[in-house]
Amino acid sequence: MSLFVQQVILGLMLGGVYVAVAIGFSLVWGVLNIVNLAHGALVVVGMYATWFLFTHAGIDPFLTLPLDAVVLFAIGYLVQRGLINRVIRAPLFFTLLLTFGINLVLINLFLLWFKADFRSVTTSYSGAGLNVGAVTIPYIRLAALVIAMLLAGAVGFFMNRTRTGFAIQAVGADKDAAQLVGIDLRHVYALTFAVGAACAGVAGGLLSTVQAISPTAGEPYTLQAFVVVILGGLGRVSATVVGGLLFGLIEVLAQSQVPGLGAGWSNAIAFAVLVLVLVLRPQGLLGRLA
Amino acid sequence: MGGRIRGLMSGIAALSVLVACGGATGGGTTTTTGADIILGAPLSLTGSSSKEGGLAKQGYDMWQTWVNQQGGINVKGVKHKVQIKYADDQSKPDISAQLTQSLITDQKVQFLLGPYGSGPTASDAVIAEKNSIPMVEGNGAAQAIFSKGYKYTFGVLSPANKYLQGVIDLAATLNPKPSTIAMLAADDSFSQEVAAAVNDYAPGKGFSVVYNQKYPNGSTDVSSLVAAAKAKNPDILLNSGHLAEAIAINKAAKDLQLNAKLFAYSVGPSTPDFVNALGKDSYYVMDGSQWTPQVKYKPTFYLSVADYTAAYKSTFNTQEDPDYHVAESTAACLALQKAIENAGTVTNTDKVRDALASLDVMTFFGEIKFDNRGVNVTKPMVVEQIQTDGKHHTVFPSDVADKQVQYPTPPWSQR
Repeated sequence: MSLFVQQVILGLMLGGVYVAVAIGFSLVWGVLNIVNLAHGALVVVGMYATWFLFTHAGIDPFLTLPLDAVVLFAIGYLVQRGLINRVIRAPLFFTLLLTFGINLVLINLFLLWFKADFRSVTTSYSGAGLNVGAVTIPYIRLAALVIAMLLAGAVGFFMNRTRTGFAIQAVGADKDAAQLVGIDLRHVYALTFAVGAACAGVAGGLLSTVQAISPTAGEPYTLQAFVVVILGGLGRVSATVVGGLLFGLIEVLAQSQVPGLGAGWSNAIAFAVLVLVLVLRPQGLLGRLA
Repeated sequence: MGGRIRGLMSGIAALSVLVACGGATGGGTTTTTGADIILGAPLSLTGSSSKEGGLAKQGYDMWQTWVNQQGGINVKGVKHKVQIKYADDQSKPDISAQLTQSLITDQKVQFLLGPYGSGPTASDAVIAEKNSIPMVEGNGAAQAIFSKGYKYTFGVLSPANKYLQGVIDLAATLNPKPSTIAMLAADDSFSQEVAAAVNDYAPGKGFSVVYNQKYPNGSTDVSSLVAAAKAKNPDILLNSGHLAEAIAINKAAKDLQLNAKLFAYSVGPSTPDFVNALGKDSYYVMDGSQWTPQVKYKPTFYLSVADYTAAYKSTFNTQEDPDYHVAESTAACLALQKAIENAGTVTNTDKVRDALASLDVMTFFGEIKFDNRGVNVTKPMVVEQIQTDGKHHTVFPSDVADKQVQYPTPPWSQR
């Protein structure tokens, strides 16, 4: 029983990481209609930024998160304004190709600058945790979950309570009408992508404390973000939160709790759930119908 | 330091010139220069194994520099310099096979050096066989590669089933004796062979495997498996997987306070990255290693173990010792060189293949001698441990060890 509780806790914590990764992805997809294949690489930029500040300036990884966000915001704004905006009105296929290309360029830049070495952020307090009976709650993973939730709350507030958020939503709903009322499309596009990238940066900073950092470490996260958004539904922060936590739980429990099946099946089970959701509720669990 | 090595290198160069001149003045065997020998090497320079692929390339490059400084491979008095054509297989077996074929067809390579990893090696072996081109490899240890009756693929490294056997043998000598094992294994063929061998071998040594779980290759989160292993309270935590997973498992073991007495991972701890990434958390961890800079083999040609280590540091301008991936890759080159010399031909690849099959040579990497499958079964694996001085030390078998094993591993809370 205590093992089950432990696994549920680990699942929620893993889910928290997925939420952090998927929020930015969902925003960009929902508003700009871009499936950003470079999202994982942006997460890795955040990882390296945190690693760099931790290793060379001795800054605590959690304190580097705002800096990651700022750096990625700037990168995101420039990438959208300078590159993606040029093909934004073209069919989906073109943005897919472009972001795929950006992903390759970023990965090869990482290889050039950081080599293929594996790195990690290991703090003095890593490994500390709260012990409740046989259940251990590692502080770092708990903090990652809390920060992911705060990030989700912040993005939700930004989207639903600020003028800029309304502008982004307006563009997402009808870009021609938004332009008619005086919203600068190119700026809002760039802003949206920048916020998405900033979220990816925070996610990367969080991930740097729990896993190894390498140029290709972001690859799985693009896929996972995609699955989380499909699972939860597009266009709402709360949907991403539910999708992320649920996907984390499913993965962990499938790894360890399904009798007779090894962890090798966890991906199969997680994706089977995804297919099931697509069949029964194509808009996602909490998604709005298009 | 660098100066001394350069001195050594130029000394070697001067010596080889002397030898060449000596041959000439002695009359009879004048050394002439023949056409370059072209070798092909598909390697994972990008993708999931790019780190290890880069290490393998270092090993190949070290030998290439050395052999060309000697004037090349000596085939019946004619020296042939060596070119190595690399192709980036992105760590993917199917791409590796395509590139191997294109190296043979388009680049006209005469012999193959292996890719990194059992997957790509297995798929490239098919191509080598089809084209009757000998492939000597140092980075594919799965026995599945050698169970198909191929005649052109030779592996200089100890096979997968031996990777963690040394650790088990070592554990059996420890006091207090550990008795239970938890095993986490990736689902690729190499890792599965390592795990299967542990499951077969450990009970005979008085251990019981209390947890044995497979996870998808390249998993980013293994904490739930570590939690499940912890629930079995194992004395020994084993992993057969890869560097990234070994780092993740070690982190999760600390996070979840899994206090085993012995931690050993098949791949990962031997690399400097593991220590750099984990700092003090990497201490006490062991791995089965193909080779360490401390082994005491007495080679009959190429560099001694100490010279090899020194040459590595000066060539790549680093303070790090060469890791075994580098050494086994160099060793593959040495086997090929010796076989070409023994065969006395560059063009007759079948003769070179036969020379490989009958090869028996002692190198800095250990003895290289293939069984009829092409597996090097004579060389033992060693166990190395990252000790509390932050360095790798060879701890088993005792005749090649340079330090006593540090055991038991203290609980995480007391480190």
